[in-house]
Amino acid sequence: MTTQHRINLEQNGSAYACAEDDTLLRAGLRAGLGLAYECNVGACGSCKFDLLDGEVRDLFPEATGLRAKERERGKRLACQCVPVTDCRIKIRSGDEYVSAIRPQRFKARFVGRTTLTRDISLFSFATDMPARFLPGQYAMLSAPQLPQARAYSMSNIPNKEGIWQFIIRHVPGGRATTFLFEHLRENDEMDIDAPFGIAYLRTEVKRPIVGIAGGSGLAPVLSVMRGAAGLAASAGPVLLYGGRTPEDIPDVPQLTRAAEIHVDYHPVISAPEAGAAQSWGGDVGFVHEFIERKLSAPLPDYEYYLAGPPPMIEASVRLLVGDHKVPQDQIHYDRFF
Amino acid sequence: MATIKLCKAADVSPGNSLRIEPENLPPLAVFNVEGEFYVINDTCSHGDASLCDGEIEDGEVECPWHNAKFCIKTGKALTFPAVEPQQTYKTAVIDGEVCIDI
Ligand SMILES: Cc1cc2nc3c(=O)[nH]c(=O)nc-3n(C[C@H](O)[C@H](O)[C@H](O)COP(=O)(O)OP(=O)(O)OC[C@H]3O[C@@H](n4cnc5c(N)ncnc54)[C@H](O)[C@@H]3O)c2cc1C
Ligand code: FES
Ligand code: FES
Repeated sequence: MTTQHRINLEQNGSAYACAEDDTLLRAGLRAGLGLAYECNVGACGSCKFDLLDGEVRDLFPEATGLRAKERERGKRLACQCVPVTDCRIKIRSGDEYVSAIRPQRFKARFVGRTTLTRDISLFSFATDMPARFLPGQYAMLSAPQLPQARAYSMSNIPNKEGIWQFIIRHVPGGRATTFLFEHLRENDEMDIDAPFGIAYLRTEVKRPIVGIAGGSGLAPVLSVMRGAAGLAASAGPVLLYGGRTPEDIPDVPQLTRAAEIHVDYHPVISAPEAGAAQSWGGDVGFVHEFIERKLSAPLPDYEYYLAGPPPMIEASVRLLVGDHKVPQDQIHYDRFF
Repeated sequence: MATIKLCKAADVSPGNSLRIEPENLPPLAVFNVEGEFYVINDTCSHGDASLCDGEIEDGEVECPWHNAKFCIKTGKALTFPAVEPQQTYKTAVIDGEVCIDI
């Protein structure tokens, strides 16, 4: 068994065990603590902490979630640090970060890939145990061939059969996606650590759902809509999807039909000059520019789930909160750093 | 309208801030930017962080949690993830005391 270290939290005196190959963040969430986080990949800064005692190893000292000045003052990111000794840390926490389903590490078998666009595919993995997560959450995928884990959102919903599905875009030159698209063979195993993420479906909320997705951001939004279909919602969900050219727009109606959900779907392309724009009869622009036009009720009447490139999320949140006074707690997003 | 005293001007040196918790008001942040005093709400409009724990530079304060920047003078949210402004207060130094109108 790997060596365990004890992590003591300064603020409330609680403590948890963290294996030498586990990050302070993930081990804390595994132990049922509500340590603050969002991305798990060193980019958002939510998980920063002060090391008061002990020693950690920083897996990603270049991570953008911390300013150089903060590093100099001894701040670190819990999602990028593994313990070397017992530690005492000061970190933000809150009930909203407690995992309803505690993350676990397990093996998953690759069972197939379906092409959705020239660079986006649906990947399916199978496990022996039921697939347990909340719609909208993500998994950390890793393999011995990869330098680090990457975050991918599930596109399906929890199931007894143990199927985990992801919608992944092949990033040119990207380490994990090149491995996934070019080297992974059927029945190969990958390591999954899941579930994570705070942009999950709020089942207690009765407001109609609006999904806003760009590029590979389709997965969690589909998952949320599939999860919501099982609830008695007041109205059908609305989905705005932004891609660069017509060729970058997956066949969403086919995906929603297969999932047996009804969605009011609005694709938008941003680069009409590239490729087969002539045949595109639909909307052209940035996806956030269409939010107001596609929704019939005042914008604060909806619950929002967003996923995709950080600039798309930022523009959408500015519009919703800044211009239309949508309360921030009605907006849930995953920035795909 | 009432004028309330928050602290002594001498308690906040240039380039620094001081958190004040007046009665019946949210926590406030008193800033001294090159000798000029400004008062805004201390709790970040994005989350539960104190701007008095943030870095001050060029008339802007950076939230210590997700690093959103605010203009100290206008309260405007300059960078994501903050999008809503901080409330500002009309501020004056009267007899060496930093005061605001509410
Ligand atoms: C919460 C979340 C959910 C996501 N969901 C999806 C999804 O559903 N579908 C999808 O296609 N993409 C998703 N992404 C993006 C995905 O995780 C990858 O960033 C993307 O696939 C590119 O990976 P790559 O290895 O191919 O590219 P690369 O360019 O090789 O790697 C980019 C990523 O690796 C990180 N990285 C680079 N160096 C290091 C290091 N030394 N240590 C640690 N990390 C490092 C970067 O910060 C960046 O996140 C998601 C991202 C986040 C944060
Ligand atoms: S959760 Fe650690 S930087 Fe985002
Ligand atoms: S709490 Fe201030 S930026 Fe998030």
